[in-house]
Amino acid sequence: MPRHKLKNTASESDGKDNEFSLYYVEVEENSQGGQEKQTTRDGKRRRERNGEVSRRRASEKRTTEVDNKRAGKKHEKRHKTARKEGEKHEKRQRRKNADREEAEEESNKEKKNIKNERTKTLKRDDEKEKDVKKKRKKHVKNEEDNANSGKTKQKDCHDMPLKEKKKKRKKPETTSESESKSESESESDSAPESKDNQAVGVLGSLTPEELEKLKEAVDERKKLIATMRGKPWPMKKKLVVLRSSCVLQRQETLLIISFLYYSNCQKWMKFQRDFENFKTACIPWEMKIKEIESHFGSSVASYFIFLRWMYGINMILFGLTFGLVMVPEALMGKPYGSIPRKTVPREEETSAMNFAVLWDFGGYAKYSVLFYGYYNSQRAIGWLKFRLPLSYFLVGVGTVAYSYMVVIRTMARNANEEGGGDDTSFNFSWKTFTSWDYLIGNPETADNKFASITTSFKEAIVEEQESRKDDNIHLTRFLRVLANFLVLCCLAGSGYLIYFVVRRSQKFALLGLENYGWWERNEVNMVMSLLGMFCPMLFDVISTLENYHPRVALQWQLGRIFALFLGNLYTFIIALMDAIQLKRAEEEIVKTNMTIWQANLYNGTVPDNSTAPPITVHPADIPRGPCWETMVGQEFVRLIISDTMTTYITLLIGDFLRAVLVRFLNNCWCWDLEYGFPSYSEFDVSGNVLGLIFNQGMIWMGAFYAPCLPALNLLRLHVSMYLQCWAVMCCNVPQERVFKASGSNNFYMAMLLVILFLSTLPAIYTIVSIPPSFDCGPFSGKTRMFDVIQETLESDFPAWFGKVFSYASNPGLVLPFLLLLVLAIYYLQSTSKTYKRVNMELKKKLQTQNEENKKKNKLAALKAANELEQARKTGEQHSSSSQHTQNSEPPVSSTHTTTRPPASRGHTSSGHLPGHPQQPQKNSHSNRK
Amino acid sequence: MVSPAIALAFLPLLLTLIIRYRYYFVLLYRAVLIRWVRDCLTGLSREERAFQYILTHATPGDAQSILDTFDHWCSKVEFISNIGPKKGKILDRLLQEHCPITVLELGTHCGYSTVRIARSLPIGARIYSVEMDERNAQVAEKIIRLAGFDEDMVELIVRPSDEVIPRLREDFGVERLDLVFMDHWKRCYLPDLHLLEGSGLLGEGSIILADNVIFPGAPNFLRHVRRSGLYEVRVHRATLEYIRGIRDGMAELTFLGIK
Repeated sequence: MPRHKLKNTASESDGKDNEFSLYYVEVEENSQGGQEKQTTRDGKRRRERNGEVSRRRASEKRTTEVDNKRAGKKHEKRHKTARKEGEKHEKRQRRKNADREEAEEESNKEKKNIKNERTKTLKRDDEKEKDVKKKRKKHVKNEEDNANSGKTKQKDCHDMPLKEKKKKRKKPETTSESESKSESESESDSAPESKDNQAVGVLGSLTPEELEKLKEAVDERKKLIATMRGKPWPMKKKLVVLRSSCVLQRQETLLIISFLYYSNCQKWMKFQRDFENFKTACIPWEMKIKEIESHFGSSVASYFIFLRWMYGINMILFGLTFGLVMVPEALMGKPYGSIPRKTVPREEETSAMNFAVLWDFGGYAKYSVLFYGYYNSQRAIGWLKFRLPLSYFLVGVGTVAYSYMVVIRTMARNANEEGGGDDTSFNFSWKTFTSWDYLIGNPETADNKFASITTSFKEAIVEEQESRKDDNIHLTRFLRVLANFLVLCCLAGSGYLIYFVVRRSQKFALLGLENYGWWERNEVNMVMSLLGMFCPMLFDVISTLENYHPRVALQWQLGRIFALFLGNLYTFIIALMDAIQLKRAEEEIVKTNMTIWQANLYNGTVPDNSTAPPITVHPADIPRGPCWETMVGQEFVRLIISDTMTTYITLLIGDFLRAVLVRFLNNCWCWDLEYGFPSYSEFDVSGNVLGLIFNQGMIWMGAFYAPCLPALNLLRLHVSMYLQCWAVMCCNVPQERVFKASGSNNFYMAMLLVILFLSTLPAIYTIVSIPPSFDCGPFSGKTRMFDVIQETLESDFPAWFGKVFSYASNPGLVLPFLLLLVLAIYYLQSTSKTYKRVNMELKKKLQTQNEENKKKNKLAALKAANELEQARKTGEQHSSSSQHTQNSEPPVSSTHTTTRPPASRGHTSSGHLPGHPQQPQKNSHSNRK
Repeated sequence: MVSPAIALAFLPLLLTLIIRYRYYFVLLYRAVLIRWVRDCLTGLSREERAFQYILTHATPGDAQSILDTFDHWCSKVEFISNIGPKKGKILDRLLQEHCPITVLELGTHCGYSTVRIARSLPIGARIYSVEMDERNAQVAEKIIRLAGFDEDMVELIVRPSDEVIPRLREDFGVERLDLVFMDHWKRCYLPDLHLLEGSGLLGEGSIILADNVIFPGAPNFLRHVRRSGLYEVRVHRATLEYIRGIRDGMAELTFLGIK
């Protein structure tokens, strides 16, 4: 969970600091390995001068080297780290000295050491006693013995010559370890015990690769020194070779560079981790969705993820239409009021600024860039020579094409993820023992995690229940058929109702809408939204008959509501088509009237032979056709707005108000409202998903005639994201059966694809077969809208291009190409199927192998257990026979008990394998003794 | 004028409501309508009709037979909100586990639960059964006697519960209540519980069993019980007696004692 990550960065950084300090120690040690050779050189040089001193130093060096040898072994670090901490300062100082080659200073210092030595040795004995006691408490017994032996050896150390000590290096590690231990104790008197433990804890966090690298470097150095020691070279040559062999000779530089490297590495890692956190924080609404998922399960979360995805798509659609159509027209096109299509007509002027414009989108909103009719048919506008009509057409086609591409790509990606059944063996054990995240450091996150684990358990239980269910199949089938029948009846009824209402509204429209009230005018919308609201509830009630798994039930529910909405959608479209026909008839009349009006205008006022300037008529007064494209766009915008309003109002009344009533009326009500009748509402996944999908369908259908639609939709999605997140968290309760819904994502996508297809059909139909209006929109004056492409080809491209294009569009070329395409698709599909099958088989193979391994392990464990049992038994027998006790059991019965296979293990048990020798048992017995 | 089409669009809502809450409609029909019709027709109260039925159909002296007859009458003929067979099993199990000596029952009604409790009590135990309504108490007494329990075993007190509880110690010499069974007015659950707490009759390990805490429901009672910290609460989920599909529950409280 990203939330955890964020919350835990603080603690992690603490850990890193520790880690870092450890690295520091490691590096130092590393350098010490190298430094050691220098100092040994010094020691050799000075051996004659100051024998004892050099010996002491060498013994120290030896212990450090021994330590270095085993730097990777963690359990030994435990003893070392304390010393390291203590020695750090001393060593730093010493290293400086060695570098400067100031022997005198060093010897001075060492003289001091000699002075202190006598008192120290006295102290040391006492300390060692303490040390041994401590270890007795802490460690196992054999270690204690080692410590004692080490103690004695330590004393010898001082008198031993250097060469002997070198030999001793190869002695068993335990002794040297204890030596180092004891010495460390003596040297680091003040090293706190707690630091030791802490350091060990941090050691565990070192990555093994880094440890390995360090070890390798140290080993290399040691090998080099060892080989050189054996060679009979003069000192100078040795030094030269050493220098030349090492890339980094100076220990200081090595230290600095490695220090920098590691610190930078740490910083880089920390930065990467922070960057990951930042990335998750950048995913919009991720936190909200995670929170919802942890409380309401993945089914509800899947809706919100889908919503977010939709938001992304709409963002791009909006960008396209806004950037390539609306903004160029607003900036470079002719301003408002310049031509009739860009002005509010005189008869509408009085009501053009009414408040109703906000939801009706008439008046000034109608004559603006928001709608098709406002755009001019001028081929290129502005100083950029922007081809607006072409751009308009291409954006319209491009948005749809882009949507297709995205939906199909997402579907393919989701299909990848599904791939075969997942491994569900030991599901519950996994969940029980591995779900908690031990890095959680804040109570709110812990609560969320707790909720999410509980939800996942619920989901798993539902799955398990479903797999174990066995019911009366005939009854279930009957009930399912009955439910489907009822749903079909309901669908037919609602379809007829909508048809009836649409017919009625057409009648009203013929007679003139002004004569009727609000109810009649909005009847279609009202009925459609009411049906859309109530029929899903009815389906939901009916679907309880079917007794499906909730996920399957959700898909059925989605399918049914889809059918319902589809009916609504198509009645709406049919009504719209009728309206278009009406408008076109009207347009014809206007056209003829227009010529008469013009003729009257010129004839009536101007004499024929005058050269006076033509009369200017205000564009608002010029008669114009009923622009059917704008009408279509307006209808869609109205539909979207009313739909949005219905959704929000339902949310507020159905969820929020209900929750408030239930919560606060419960104190003074005669029955329990929270558990009983109204209760809180559950989140309606299917309804919301379908609402979203159909809304998107509307956008795709209407976006060509109303470029403002993607913007409106973006607004709607944005608001509903926040509103619904809030509503879910504050007024809904989780469903009774929370279920896993990762699979239904592709189902959503499939529905979206169907809707996309269905919604592009009418749009394409209108574009291809209905001629555009004569006096509005970017395609006015053309016979068809797609003529704009031809026009561009002819005028903007060189002649050969048009030729090539015409050849390419020759059916003789297009048909083979299509055929090739189909063949390619078929080939790809069949190969993907094969791959899938192979995958499944591999998975199966893996599973069977796993099971076999498990069986083998079980068998082995059983065998071992049996052997142990037998060994114990025989041991008992031995002891009993050796002790000659009187009440020893009869041997027959005892052997019987040992050889009898345990009843519960069944086929896997094999009490006593026939060919199995008895000897190892005796061995094991003796070992045990 | 609202058009008929819009009205028709509300039909699915109506259907949904009817289907979803069908059990409540059944309950309404059986508990209210049938009762009203029968009251008008026979002139007897519902409880008296139940008694008549039991008198003619059950074996006197056999508690099980009386309970069975009661269940049959309530599920097939009319509706009386007794504890019912399913929740009765929970009650039986509790009684067997704890073997209470002194039992207080609030809300005798027809005596069904009294018979049920008395049946599984050990010898020497005593039930104090409180009923407010005079006519119900008469019927209950007849039924209890019919089941073969005498006055030593069952003490029927015809008074409101809030008057009885403070005076239990003085009037009846009760020192400690082992089990309290609440099945009277749901609104009285909480005040009566307060009275019980104040009277000092509850000892550590005393059990209070409250029926119908979810439907019709006693939210305040549950809230108090969960918050007060005096009790260990368990809510047994079940359905309403004699009607499937309406969720109900019994709250079992174990008094932990005042610390």
